[in-house]
Amino acid sequence: MNSDLIQRLIDSKKKLIDGFDLPATVRKSEEEGGCGVVGFCCTEPVPGKHIYEPSKQMHNRGNGKGGGIAAVGFVPEQLGVSREILEDHYMLHIAFLEPDAKDDVEKGFILPHFDVAASCMLATVDDWKTIPGLEVKPPDVCRYFVRVKKDVLDHFIAEHKLENIDRREAEDEYVNQNSFKLNQMHYSAVGDKKAFVLSHGRNIMILKVVGFAEAIVDYYKVRDLCAHVWIAHQRFPTKGRVWHPAGAHPFTGINIALVHNGDFANYHSVTEHLLQRHIRPQFLTDTEVSVLLFDLLSRTYHYSLEHIIEALAPTSELDFDRLPEAKKKLYRAIQATHIHGSPDGPWFFIIARNDIAQEQFQLLGITDTAMLRPQVFAFVDGEVQVGLIASEKQAIDATLLSLSKDDIRICPVADRFWNARGGSHTDGGAFIFNLTQESGRMRMTCTDKFGKLISLPMGTEPYDFASETYLAHKVDAGIEKKIRDFMESDAPGLFRYLRDHISVWSYDDLRAACRMITESVKNTNTFDIAIKSLTMLNDYRYPMGAKKRSHILHIVGSELTRLFQSVPRLDADQDAPGNSYRLIDFAARGALRAPQHDETTLVINAFGFPPEGDQSDASLLMDAYMKGWRRFITFGCVGQRYIGNGLGPETDDVVIDVYGSSGDYLASGIDGMAITVHGNAQDQLGQIIKRGKLVIYGDVGQTFLYGAKGGEIYVMGNAAGRPLINSVGKPRVVINGTCLDFLGESFMAGDPHNDGGFVILNGVKFDDDGGVILMDEPYPGSNVFSLASGGAIYVRDPGKTLIDQQLNGGMIEPLNKKDWELILPYLEENERLFNIRIEDLLKVNGEKRSPQQIYRKVVPFAAGKSSADLDDDLLDDEYLEEEVAYATGVAAA
Amino acid sequence: MANFLEIDCKLEDIIPEKTRKTRTPQFIQARTIRPAPPRYRNEISKYIILRNEERCLKCGKCVEICPQGVHVKSPGYKYFAQPQSHLCFGPVCEKKGCYCITACPEGALHIQENPMMKALGDYRWPAEMILATWKMAENGECPSEDYGYDFETGNSEGGFDRIRFKFPDRPPVELKEEEIDTSIELNRRHDGRPRIRIDVPWYGGGMSFGSVSNTTQLSKARAAVAWNTFSCTGEGGFMERMRPYDDHMITQVATGLFGVREETIQRVPIVEFKYAQGAKPGLGGHLLGDKNTQAVAKMRETVIGISLFSPFPFHSVYSIEDHQKHIDWVKHINRRALISTKVSTPNDVDMVAVGSYSAGTHIIHLDGGYGGTGAAPDIAKKNIAMPIEYAISKVHNFLVAEGAREQVTLVASGGIRNPYDVAKAIALGADGVVIGTVEMVALGCVRCNRCSAGRGCPRCIATTDKTLAAKIDLEWGAQRLINTYNAWRNEIVSILCRLGLRSVSELRGRSDLLMHLDYTNVVVEREA
Repeated sequence: MNSDLIQRLIDSKKKLIDGFDLPATVRKSEEEGGCGVVGFCCTEPVPGKHIYEPSKQMHNRGNGKGGGIAAVGFVPEQLGVSREILEDHYMLHIAFLEPDAKDDVEKGFILPHFDVAASCMLATVDDWKTIPGLEVKPPDVCRYFVRVKKDVLDHFIAEHKLENIDRREAEDEYVNQNSFKLNQMHYSAVGDKKAFVLSHGRNIMILKVVGFAEAIVDYYKVRDLCAHVWIAHQRFPTKGRVWHPAGAHPFTGINIALVHNGDFANYHSVTEHLLQRHIRPQFLTDTEVSVLLFDLLSRTYHYSLEHIIEALAPTSELDFDRLPEAKKKLYRAIQATHIHGSPDGPWFFIIARNDIAQEQFQLLGITDTAMLRPQVFAFVDGEVQVGLIASEKQAIDATLLSLSKDDIRICPVADRFWNARGGSHTDGGAFIFNLTQESGRMRMTCTDKFGKLISLPMGTEPYDFASETYLAHKVDAGIEKKIRDFMESDAPGLFRYLRDHISVWSYDDLRAACRMITESVKNTNTFDIAIKSLTMLNDYRYPMGAKKRSHILHIVGSELTRLFQSVPRLDADQDAPGNSYRLIDFAARGALRAPQHDETTLVINAFGFPPEGDQSDASLLMDAYMKGWRRFITFGCVGQRYIGNGLGPETDDVVIDVYGSSGDYLASGIDGMAITVHGNAQDQLGQIIKRGKLVIYGDVGQTFLYGAKGGEIYVMGNAAGRPLINSVGKPRVVINGTCLDFLGESFMAGDPHNDGGFVILNGVKFDDDGGVILMDEPYPGSNVFSLASGGAIYVRDPGKTLIDQQLNGGMIEPLNKKDWELILPYLEENERLFNIRIEDLLKVNGEKRSPQQIYRKVVPFAAGKSSADLDDDLLDDEYLEEEVAYATGVAAA
Repeated sequence: MANFLEIDCKLEDIIPEKTRKTRTPQFIQARTIRPAPPRYRNEISKYIILRNEERCLKCGKCVEICPQGVHVKSPGYKYFAQPQSHLCFGPVCEKKGCYCITACPEGALHIQENPMMKALGDYRWPAEMILATWKMAENGECPSEDYGYDFETGNSEGGFDRIRFKFPDRPPVELKEEEIDTSIELNRRHDGRPRIRIDVPWYGGGMSFGSVSNTTQLSKARAAVAWNTFSCTGEGGFMERMRPYDDHMITQVATGLFGVREETIQRVPIVEFKYAQGAKPGLGGHLLGDKNTQAVAKMRETVIGISLFSPFPFHSVYSIEDHQKHIDWVKHINRRALISTKVSTPNDVDMVAVGSYSAGTHIIHLDGGYGGTGAAPDIAKKNIAMPIEYAISKVHNFLVAEGAREQVTLVASGGIRNPYDVAKAIALGADGVVIGTVEMVALGCVRCNRCSAGRGCPRCIATTDKTLAAKIDLEWGAQRLINTYNAWRNEIVSILCRLGLRSVSELRGRSDLLMHLDYTNVVVEREA
């Protein structure tokens, strides 16, 4: 599109704005911090009820004062229109805050300009007060399928000299301007807010309420309405009294809906950028401005998605330097034009889009370059494919569980989970799920900012979870005997036996074998062995042949859940001699008591517990600890927070195993206990951890180990952004994958050789057969160990990819013998825990190298003094001795 | 005693045994007012009396006439001691008929204004306000009018210095001083957590071990015990030796998380989240390397001699739902704790406050831009945050409009220098205030703004040097603060009497009792 035509489009907006007498500046009227966002897309149209569960799961990210959902890609029959009308007509959704405004709106803004193919009021329940989670009566919503009348559009094109613009684009602009006028007349300009446009794209719908998002599903009866893409938003407006939902997300552009978590520091600047292009916000929130920006970049400037993302989240620092020259030139031009319009601050967008030009539906997630908001992506492959984006992994799990109940072809365990890194050297901070028609059926791909496809595990043989054949399936007598023998004494043996046979067995064999294990438990010993062996199957990586790892994990996970649920209940009348495990769940929480007889382990079914507060499972665990329990298994987690928190000092005798989608702050502040997370973990884990052991069989989220003071921590996979910020004392951490960015900022953990702390970053990942792949670049982030004054980071970096530019206050030193002796015991424990062999870590292209050739050490540029360096008169020994005396109570008198 | 134990369940049900086990008997500090004379032999004074020894007959007339005991001749000594100038009222004695200068038969005495008065203090803390605070710390009373100290306002020509009370000529109701209630409630949420009341409408602000000496911290803590209010650890660890004061301590969880452990959170009745300081919003916290001594580094588990930064902001909190998660975390760890959220005063401070309230905080602590000592960069002080007097009323009014005012306690800090500032802040809409600099002044601070440099503080208050810190005697330090609190409370009682109000709660939000000189046609005469 040439610049002249772009200018004409912009000029047409100028005329529109000039038509109103508006003040020169725009001020943000609604502050909001954060929220919970979720979105998913599916190759099958799926009903709205599936957005219900994840929305509910993220209640604690909203405050019930604003919620919204959007959907793209409907089934025409459900809407009572033909496919042609659904695809070609604009689907106007107008909210009437005052029912009697409808006539005026229609007379003024619908009937004169549009041919209306169909229209209807959205059905609602009779009494809004019967829907929990609604604060105010939601607006009446009318849906119109419209096209601009031919003569009206002709006149519009002639008036603005848009003859050389695609007629459909001109029509888009007309619809856009008409909505602006409608909002201006019935919303922005008037004291009484009467009506506003919820959405005006094609094949797209937005609904919002004052209340929680999931209330929409019930109130507007869209439980069974099917669509390919759904997004939802729980809002946390700080303003207390909200009486209409116009400020809630999602916000609409032509053919897009956007939800947003975060806020802008430069609302004014972004708004100015828009005003210079005669685009004027009407609802005065960050989110509206975001969608206006996106709309400007795509519909007016016709940028490709890559360039839109670059304009929103400009590439900077090392990431920029690493771009190819041609791209640098282009990006520089984009930044020069749009930097003032690029949102500054923490933000994460989820966008649902009907991409007409490419004939595809899209679901996008875009993060700010510093990755300040939490975000997780997931892909489920198979006959039915699902792409998901959310603030928390647990919301993804909840969505998949909900979907899988409806469509058994969908496995509740995703094939891949990942985070976006806000840097163009790697993924560009954005991922796009594309749904396109391929030979008559819908297929999905996922690409990053540059259109690079996301790789998925190779396993192709799916399992039909609906089949009950495994129940009647007889495993070979030899297998049965083997398993029964192992069940007596040897959990690792049992695991190895199963592991070695998975690739040759059928799914039914595996499922029947697992079922046999769970059925044959009878006492503490067999429980132990069953739990351990199944847990190892869940935790470790191994070859699976053509089977899908996600499906194996689901089978194993379901059997583990079954096993835990079969534990004797704590509230049962009958005692269960010979079994030291006891089960407690939300319903039985009142029955908590001290352990009796030989009871050792409290198994907590976290499902059903609120994620925080007095009634939470974490509170129950704390109570149980105070009553004398020391060994815990928490399973069935759906985002429960603070697990292991609050137990206070010296908890060396406590052991906690966590299964399911555990939540934020897990293991924060622990002092002595051991916590193992059997799966991926969420954000803010191990904040101020003092002592103890934390093992994570998976990835871990944002702000891992913030302000940590000690502990031994092992992560099998990656850490997201900002791990180990402001860590002091002596934390000793092994991260086997990589980190997104800002690892060890302001690290102050003493001298590693003198009781200080350090991080070992191995930079490895797993192939489909569970083998270790050594990453080419262990740390792609732009900043590592910035402002650090103590401790060290040992990076497995044989290719010497880590460069000075990434260091801001740190320097690279070669590894010496003392260093290797220091880290070796931790690598050995790492090998024991995760089966990541030191032998493999020391290889480059299959050849063994010395540790000095493999590991590099990052140390602070300006290191502090140790007390050994101090003169006598600067020592506070006496004072410190007194502290110890006070701590032990000796000096209290 | 703080009534934090008034909770429906027993301590052993809510605090793990190993935290409880380390509880020590709580320190008892009587609310007794005793003289706590200056540490230095010649305290800085407004006037200097010079004695011409050659002319002096040693007749003793000056001793007889002076009601203040400026002139001292110890028995058995031939000469007079150097005049105790800091006790001198100055030329006002002439009218009172006790002027030693004219009474001296030989004209051996000479009075002059101390040239130090021009160097001491600054516009916000003029020399006379510092001297007055010292008098309060010494005797527990506001200095008598005879001194002529103007401590009600400073010379900043802004902030509280442009705000005055519109005192009626006579009180609308006659009240006895004993009837006046100066206590305030810190938990208004009725959420089952303790309903803590403090006896005076202020508590001590956070000062870390590192920024100040432990003696300073302990003095603050003892004053808090005596007056049944609180002191705050600041961000630098919660020392073992502070255990006997646990019930009167607020522990701070700030962005560096230095010294924060579950145990330290579980020890106290109030936990404060420090997001920002009004003196340097957006800049985090700093402790320069020289003050990071062996003991400080040990407490914070860092390396010695390195400057320590608390980042801005919390890396785990970038939005309101993160803040709620953060609060829920501390509420989970400490089931009886009240939560205070300390924020600076940006333009949208009202939104911040309401957001914080809805996230579950009990106390909203607004830290305005007038505070800060030497450790805050000059460029930041007074230049970034919104003036506290605007922030208080903005937040108060917004909370009222949102229907949340009665469920949350609002405290203000940042340049609360004297009892009038306290009363003004409350009249503008705060429930109470948090004080900082004034406690340092009571301990002898001269506002030299060298708190951060070297090993800190020529007056031995904000230092981590053990030799310097030892110059302050703990008993003395505590007494100075207890005395100051007493003087403040008395003055607030008298303000309330003059206004005819029975309690500080009645004063809250009564901005109608105030006038701002910029918008009022009243000529206020400053004393020369």
